[in-house]
Amino acid sequence: MSVHVEPVWLYVLVFLCLMVLTATTVGVAFVDLGSFNTLVALTIAVIKMLLVVTFFMHVRHSTALTKVFIAAGFLWLLLLIAFTLTDVGTRQIPQQPEGWGSATTVVPPPK
Amino acid sequence: MLIQGAKSGLLAALQTSPGIPIFPPRASTIAGGVDQLHYFLTVLTLFFTFVIFTIIFYFMIRYRRRSEDEQPPETVTLMPLEITWTLIPTLICVVVFAWSASLYFRNANPPNAATEIIVIGKQWMWHIQHQEGVREINELHVPVGVPIKLTMTSQDVIHDFFIPAFRVKRDATPGRYSSLWFQATKTGTFHFFCAQYCGEGHAAMIGWVHVMTPDDYAAWLAGTNRGETMTQAGERLFHQYGCVTCHVADGTGRGPSLVGQFGKPQKLRDGQSLTVDEAFLRRAITQPNSMPIPNYAPVMPTFQGQLNEEQILQLIAYVKSLGGEERKAKGQ
Amino acid sequence: MSAALAEAPPETRVHYLNANYGIKSWLLTTDHKRIALLYLASITLMFFVGGAMAVMMRIHLIDPAGALVHPDTYNKLFTMHGVMMIFFFLIPSIPAVLGNFLVPIMVGAKDLAFPRINLLSWYIFIIGASLTLYAMVSGGVDTGWTFYTPYSTTYANSQVMATALGVFVSGFSSILTGLNFIVTIHKMRAPGLTWFRMPLFLWAIYATSIIQVLGTPVVAIAIFLIGLERLFHVGIFDPAVGGDPILFQHLFWFYSHPAVYIMILPGMGVISEIITCFSRKKIFGYHFVAFSSMAIAVISFLVWGHHMFVTGMSVYAALIFSVLSFLVAIPSAIKVFNWTATLYQGSISYEAPMLYALGFIGLFTMGGLTGLFLASLATDVHLNGTYFIVAHFHYIMVGGAVMAYLGGIHFWWPKISGRMFPDTWARLAAAIVFIGFNLTFFPQFMLGYLGMPRRYATYPAEFQVLNVMSSAGASILGLGYMIPLIYLFWSIRYGPVAPANPWRAKGLEWQTSSPPPTQNFEVPPVVTEEAYAYGPPGSGREGAHD
Repeated sequence: MSVHVEPVWLYVLVFLCLMVLTATTVGVAFVDLGSFNTLVALTIAVIKMLLVVTFFMHVRHSTALTKVFIAAGFLWLLLLIAFTLTDVGTRQIPQQPEGWGSATTVVPPPK
Repeated sequence: MLIQGAKSGLLAALQTSPGIPIFPPRASTIAGGVDQLHYFLTVLTLFFTFVIFTIIFYFMIRYRRRSEDEQPPETVTLMPLEITWTLIPTLICVVVFAWSASLYFRNANPPNAATEIIVIGKQWMWHIQHQEGVREINELHVPVGVPIKLTMTSQDVIHDFFIPAFRVKRDATPGRYSSLWFQATKTGTFHFFCAQYCGEGHAAMIGWVHVMTPDDYAAWLAGTNRGETMTQAGERLFHQYGCVTCHVADGTGRGPSLVGQFGKPQKLRDGQSLTVDEAFLRRAITQPNSMPIPNYAPVMPTFQGQLNEEQILQLIAYVKSLGGEERKAKGQ
Repeated sequence: MSAALAEAPPETRVHYLNANYGIKSWLLTTDHKRIALLYLASITLMFFVGGAMAVMMRIHLIDPAGALVHPDTYNKLFTMHGVMMIFFFLIPSIPAVLGNFLVPIMVGAKDLAFPRINLLSWYIFIIGASLTLYAMVSGGVDTGWTFYTPYSTTYANSQVMATALGVFVSGFSSILTGLNFIVTIHKMRAPGLTWFRMPLFLWAIYATSIIQVLGTPVVAIAIFLIGLERLFHVGIFDPAVGGDPILFQHLFWFYSHPAVYIMILPGMGVISEIITCFSRKKIFGYHFVAFSSMAIAVISFLVWGHHMFVTGMSVYAALIFSVLSFLVAIPSAIKVFNWTATLYQGSISYEAPMLYALGFIGLFTMGGLTGLFLASLATDVHLNGTYFIVAHFHYIMVGGAVMAYLGGIHFWWPKISGRMFPDTWARLAAAIVFIGFNLTFFPQFMLGYLGMPRRYATYPAEFQVLNVMSSAGASILGLGYMIPLIYLFWSIRYGPVAPANPWRAKGLEWQTSSPPPTQNFEVPPVVTEEAYAYGPPGSGREGAHD
């Protein structure tokens, strides 16, 4: 197995990028973006994670198989979030219209 | 030996029938449909188990090893067979899914005319309150033939209100309102249980549903010492906790008027539009800062911890009584 | 190939068991076979600890008012039973014992890809198990193995932290084992062992490993968050500070539903090996059985919502999870049909492993079909949280996974120990387990439909008869599990010496001596035919099939 060593300047650059992004996350936390708060924070987090995976973990030079497994990890995270949202995201769905999907037969009480 | 095993398993199943209850009483409009699906699935299970066992036993006997040097023929995988036994289970699954989903879907929402009863779970009892003000613990009196909607929450951990005779069950979750509904078809007394593990006294969270004729129910209601109705209690709290000082009815206060708001959409500052329902009001009372409303300063203090679940529900009942698209049916 | 070697008594030959002696040679070994035995010893202990709790529970439930213990103690019993059996017996059972022993031999390698990580994963497992055992003896834990919030985070006063930490730690063991298997299967297959020549046990282990690697981190995070919430009250799950208690259930079941397949998939692999061997037939529909394992691994991650139909989930979410749950039934059904078809025109003999395998098929069929009741929304509402659930998952986990595990242990016992077990006793035990199992759990289906909720220390009198029947069955089942423990121990010393291939089975593990040498093979094997080439000579070659 060949070992790939990135030049030191690249590590420093990636490190600086990560720091800048961390600062951005902190900064954005003070700005109220409404429902975009979470989205922005998550986007920054994903970019940081990709930087770490690509450079620090040397996936840039890895085999296709390793990349497939990393992609699977992402896919699984996506599944976790997406399917959790099917519950969490639909709890607030407004009431159904009158008489739609509700029991329509009201049995009279036995005499 | 395996034959004996299967036989004893089957015998065990059969021997239980005389004298031992196998099916719970069927006492709600939903129960019949659930039972039909259950019977269908039971027959399906027994059929396939029987078929698989029979084939295995047949093969075991028919193809038992007769000599050590026996050479069985090569296995030939038959594509049509594979496709058949992929398609058949798929088809069965589609049918069962469609059946069960439509049943569930039809019964998901209560009829609009349902009578609402409040159920609060707490370690380890069920606290029940009727709109008329009657309070019960681990007992629930309902009239037969009238759709009843239980609005449920929990004061501590997750509980679950389960009435086997009605085939209904729903979690009572802290911080949220959930609801289940039923319409009893038989008078009588039926067990209800807590079906979500909730600590030491979990098995003691058992009570009885008393299904009564409407006349008996009216007599029972009249005969109980009822005190304030939910709405009256809510109105008292509305004054006691000073809600009235800001939420002035004519809209001139520091907070929005609550008259005629229930069931209407309400825009929040971040642009979301939410329906003013039980969950909305609960959040507005316990976490007002999480839902600032345009044109009003976010000055309302939280009442989290100051009001218990019952009081919050009474306040909600009062707000409902102030009009709006309230579903009108208070048991009359 | 090593027939001469195998017939000599094992003492005269150097193999992995006698290559060196002493406690250090075991505790510092990197030999996958010895690590498998370390796992075997540890999980057997955990199985009997968990089993003892089950016995106490069943005795307690003979009387509606509770015959044995205080309700609080009962709650701790079922919690610890669940934690022990699931995290410390079933999840490591087939992968960590049989998988560890067999994966390198089946691929024709000397060891796993990372032998030291393999040893590390055992130590991590032991740390996790010790923490949990500590929690048990220092007061126990009463949250249920599901750790539902907010009970576990705010209300429980028992040893939640120690248990959660134990489960958290043991998760890493599971991840490392899975990782090791994936790399080994990808990278270390012997020349000629293509993917579609692999024994189905390897396919099953591969699918299981994927679940372990992708799913376990999520439960680790969920349990970590419970710890955070208990210590610092951060408000992720506590509704009083804006948290969502239901979110925990999502995170928990995202792993814990697939975890059921971590338990059953390797069992299915074992069954494919045993059925083919004792009917001397190539598996019917190799590709279907292999791909159904992979399909189950993937679909299993999309169905967790069916544990939560009564939480107040919207109708829309419930419909999605329901239809996906039905999908899992299809690959499971395909497997059952293919195993059954494999028997056709075979040469079937009934040694103990085969009895376990046939029992597995029957019980798994029942367990799987009763799963349809729970995927169906309308019936699930009634059955959720009742004894029906208890019966259903015991049919899968005990009737399925444990039967397969015992079948596998018997099947490979001659290879592992170099000794034969007494077959009469083994058949008797298999029959007792089968009968006892059905007597214990069949009544619980009826209890569930009748409406008896699970986790009840006391119950209304109308449920007593079925409970007594179940308890009676449990005593038979308990006996059934004791017998193999005794005769397998006995056979280590007194059993007849096993030949290299006592069942005349195919597969690389049977080509080396029993027990195998430390390096597994005297000569690195080359694979020239597909798996289960039991057919007439020459028929197993590529092209003469399907």
